[in-house]
Amino acid sequence: MSQIALAADFAIIIVAATVIGLVARRTGQPTIIAYILTGLLLGPVVLDIVTEDVLVENMAELGLGFLLFLLGMKMRFDDIREILRPIVNIAVWQTILQTALALLVAWALGFDPTEIVIIALATVFGATPIIVKILTDKDEITALPGKIDVGVLIVQDIYLVVVLALLGADSLENPTQIATTLGIITVMMTSIGLFSLASSRYLLPQLFHRIADNKDVFLVVAIAWAFLFIAVSEAFDLSLEVGAFLAGVSIAQLPYSKELEDKITPITDIFILVFFASIGLQLEAGDLFAHWWEAIVASVVLMVGNFWIMFYLIDREAFSVETSFLGSINMVQVSEFSLVVGVLAVNQGYVGSNVLGYLSLMALLTMSVSTYIISYNHTIYARVKPWFSRFESDEKGDADLETHDGHAVAIGYDEITERVLPLLESAYGDVVVIDRRTDHVEELEAEGEYAYVYGDVRHGEVRKDAALSKAAFVLSSSVQPEVNRVVLAEAADDATVFVEARRIDDARDLYDRGADYVIMSTYLTAAKLSEYLERYVTDRETFEKAVAQDIELIERQARHRERLPIDDEPEPEVDDD
Amino acid sequence: MTDLITTLAIVFVTAGALLVVANHFSLSPVPFYIVAGLITGAFVDQPEIVDLAQWGIAFLVFVFGFRVDFGAVRSVLRDSEAAAVTQVVVVTPAAFGIGLLFGFDQLNALYFAVAAALSSTIVGGGLLEREIRDNLVHGRLASSVHFFDDLLAIAIVLVLSAEAFTPTLVTSKIGYGVLFLAAGLLVYRHGFPLLVRLADGSGELVLMGSISILIGFLAAAELAGISIVVGAFAAGIAIRNDSAVSLEVRNGIESIRDFFVAIFFVTVGALVTVPSLEVLVVAATLVCLVVLVNPFVIMLSFLYEGYDARTAFLASTSLNQVSEFSLVVAIQALLLGTITETVFEAIILAAAVTMILTSFTRRHEETIYRSVIEGAVAERQHRQLAERSSVSDLSDHVVIVGYGRQGRIIVERFERLDCPYVVVENDPVLWDSLREDCSNYVLGDALSRSTWDSARAEAAALIVSTVDHAPVSETVLEVADERDLEADVILRAGDSRAAQRLLEAGATYVSVPNVLAGDQLAYIVEGVLSGETDAATVRSNHVDRLETLERYGFDTAVPDD
Repeated sequence: MSQIALAADFAIIIVAATVIGLVARRTGQPTIIAYILTGLLLGPVVLDIVTEDVLVENMAELGLGFLLFLLGMKMRFDDIREILRPIVNIAVWQTILQTALALLVAWALGFDPTEIVIIALATVFGATPIIVKILTDKDEITALPGKIDVGVLIVQDIYLVVVLALLGADSLENPTQIATTLGIITVMMTSIGLFSLASSRYLLPQLFHRIADNKDVFLVVAIAWAFLFIAVSEAFDLSLEVGAFLAGVSIAQLPYSKELEDKITPITDIFILVFFASIGLQLEAGDLFAHWWEAIVASVVLMVGNFWIMFYLIDREAFSVETSFLGSINMVQVSEFSLVVGVLAVNQGYVGSNVLGYLSLMALLTMSVSTYIISYNHTIYARVKPWFSRFESDEKGDADLETHDGHAVAIGYDEITERVLPLLESAYGDVVVIDRRTDHVEELEAEGEYAYVYGDVRHGEVRKDAALSKAAFVLSSSVQPEVNRVVLAEAADDATVFVEARRIDDARDLYDRGADYVIMSTYLTAAKLSEYLERYVTDRETFEKAVAQDIELIERQARHRERLPIDDEPEPEVDDD
Repeated sequence: MTDLITTLAIVFVTAGALLVVANHFSLSPVPFYIVAGLITGAFVDQPEIVDLAQWGIAFLVFVFGFRVDFGAVRSVLRDSEAAAVTQVVVVTPAAFGIGLLFGFDQLNALYFAVAAALSSTIVGGGLLEREIRDNLVHGRLASSVHFFDDLLAIAIVLVLSAEAFTPTLVTSKIGYGVLFLAAGLLVYRHGFPLLVRLADGSGELVLMGSISILIGFLAAAELAGISIVVGAFAAGIAIRNDSAVSLEVRNGIESIRDFFVAIFFVTVGALVTVPSLEVLVVAATLVCLVVLVNPFVIMLSFLYEGYDARTAFLASTSLNQVSEFSLVVAIQALLLGTITETVFEAIILAAAVTMILTSFTRRHEETIYRSVIEGAVAERQHRQLAERSSVSDLSDHVVIVGYGRQGRIIVERFERLDCPYVVVENDPVLWDSLREDCSNYVLGDALSRSTWDSARAEAAALIVSTVDHAPVSETVLEVADERDLEADVILRAGDSRAAQRLLEAGATYVSVPNVLAGDQLAYIVEGVLSGETDAATVRSNHVDRLETLERYGFDTAVPDD
């Protein structure tokens, strides 16, 4: 039987990456380093037991496609609108200055002209997976420095997509050809981009509105959308990455993108692992260490140089010194895209794999060092603050960002939570509702009173978006014990948490895990109903009075719901017997 | 762009377009993947995509493995006992015989029989989602049989992976299977918790670790010469865990599964060439067996078990589709080279057809039941109703529909008040507790008129329904209207608008758990926010109440209703 054995190399890569990843975790290093090391370990550099076969190559390419799709999906223009202008300024100048610096360094280190150009294009600073990952773990991603970094990374991605498209083109012999290619790319990208934006406004809302409620279909249709764009950009001779990225951008503007992002991430994780490992597989020991001292020198110079470039640029936009410092020191590592660009350049035959080795070594060095730098960014700032205070001035100050803190979160918008929302609104002033039904979200939109997050609360991204961990009051009308356990684990210790359960066992468990009150609508109804029935047989008059009150309540609720654009479909989360 | 990626683009774009159509008509997506495969068959011939499809099988079973609720196995066995026996003893041999008549060898006749007997969780269970959530008896029955079928399919794959069917070989396969399950449990106990600890909160690493465990089991299965399906199932068991990080990881694995499973189903469809007449005849026979014979035989067995005719009919019609596991069996056989092209293609075609048909039969099942079944079994129903009910000569009594948690609490109250009542319930599993706890009860279908005769509705003072199921509520109101009953009617509804409609249609009162709970909740929240009471008091009061309820045994209603 020769079944999965066909994929043995793929299997070995994943298992090895897991083991190395676990080791890296103990030393606080990000997984991307573990993946590159996995490739080096399994490839010719050390063990030489895995070669880059067709399947591995395909999976690596798929990983790249998904990575770009995901990246496009993160391009929510709304997220950075408040600080859009300074961010574009910073990003554009940062790209220009750092490319110039990289060019200078490569020239000084004595690379030949083509290599210098490729290295300069490929040396981009700021690695999204590392910055986002560590800042998220430290809960700083929505703070101002984090926002600036993420914003810059987003704008930078557009530059990278152009570079990828350029390098992916077939002929780049002379300046005219480069210019024509660039022109064609711009036109193509603009037209596909316009189509993607037009569809995100006119086609996708209808399409996904119908589909988002159906979990089985949602993901596959989104992937189909990405492949459609990939096929179209292939037809236009653009790279796969461009298509995937633009497909992502068109979905990003929809309210359902957060949830989709969470669904695409694991698929990306597994394929992109193969991609990073495959870089290591392509390198011989000779390649990796061909320019070892140049890599070290360049790493040091570029880390320092880029810190100052970023610091100068952020500072120029009149943010506070602390923000400028943190925002810049987070960005002192080579982007994962340097490797993507490097791989492409090698495949297109512009440079030898020694340059890829140089870029990989630089990535490994800067990423591993910067991990510690980001982790201790505040400590470092505290140390150097006295010196940096010379940059302080009165005009500088941080823009205000909208964040949720000390607010109330309601999970599920139904008749249970609906009654309580006004109370929470008046007590906390800020209520965020999480719901994964498109019609409920439309209802909320129509009411326009509460902020909402569309998505399944099972997804970390969704919980983060609602700032669940910072809420002062959490009300969950989900009856699923596993969801409520996560909610209880994530909510702050001093937050008041009300959750719902169906069974007494579950309720007790939730109380043990710190719930302040467990709503049990079945037992509550049962108790009320049997109370009413007792009155029905003993004291008809009180029965009628009590029932009349309830009926009035029902009618009021029903009238209230009548106004709202919901269909007659009963709620899916109606509980029990 | 490589060939594989072009192929994937064709696969996904076609499937995506068809899914949009399927979703528009609320049909299950699975058959549309197969149809996408039939359409794109000409483009999908890369060996790599068959590799990816294999991963689809592995993830399909892997996810099934970690979702298996072992706590439910006992009640599943209780519910599906009769149907399971019927499937194994009646349907399979019959289909096997038909397969032999077609001139297949024994092994191919067996594949044919398996496809005829097993039904699909993804498709059937997907359509029944609401019934299962509302805990209607037929939803529970059908999902029990689906679950049983899935486990049976894994066992079949295990046995069929033997190269020859000598007792020694088969026993050794079964031995390996047991060994794998034991290894899965071992990893579940010791390995996976260690992984979670080492990963130190990183969801990505736990995800990779879980997939590594899957890979380990798959590799071991290959070494042992048994099917990867068994390895994937054992791996699924190994990663069952309910820590917060594993919820995240499960979501992740399910996304990855969706990706590969789509490829799997499309590939399966793509493997069908233009079918010959013979294939069409075999496929049509299989469709008949699955859509007509299998449900009919299973319905008889449910009736024999004591379920009312409607429940038996509705449960068995939910089982009228070819299982996705039959596709796994077929493709595994294809890889082993033991299945003929005819049988393989017939199974795939029949799967696509029955999976689409099942959505349509479900829309018309009430009509079919009324016009075909109801009359045929009326006599029997009457006899059974009489046998299984105990109603004394009541008048001015209360009819309580449903003996779930609400029903029990109400009965307890009426017993205490010594007020005459009769309980109407259709779940035979509750028969024992009805006999034990209730002075009067009718074991029958609340939707059937004769049940109301038995409950002496004419003489009743009040009818209380604790069942949140629109047809039941409507029937109660119809009965009251047709017979000009004196009785007041109290119903139950899921939301205020449904409740309002019932009130307008003549109900005296409608209880809406969400509205009542919302009301109560608003009261509590107001108290806590204004400082009149504090969370600790609220909490301890409620814990006390729960204890009281438990002392009365209200949490032990046999099926979770």
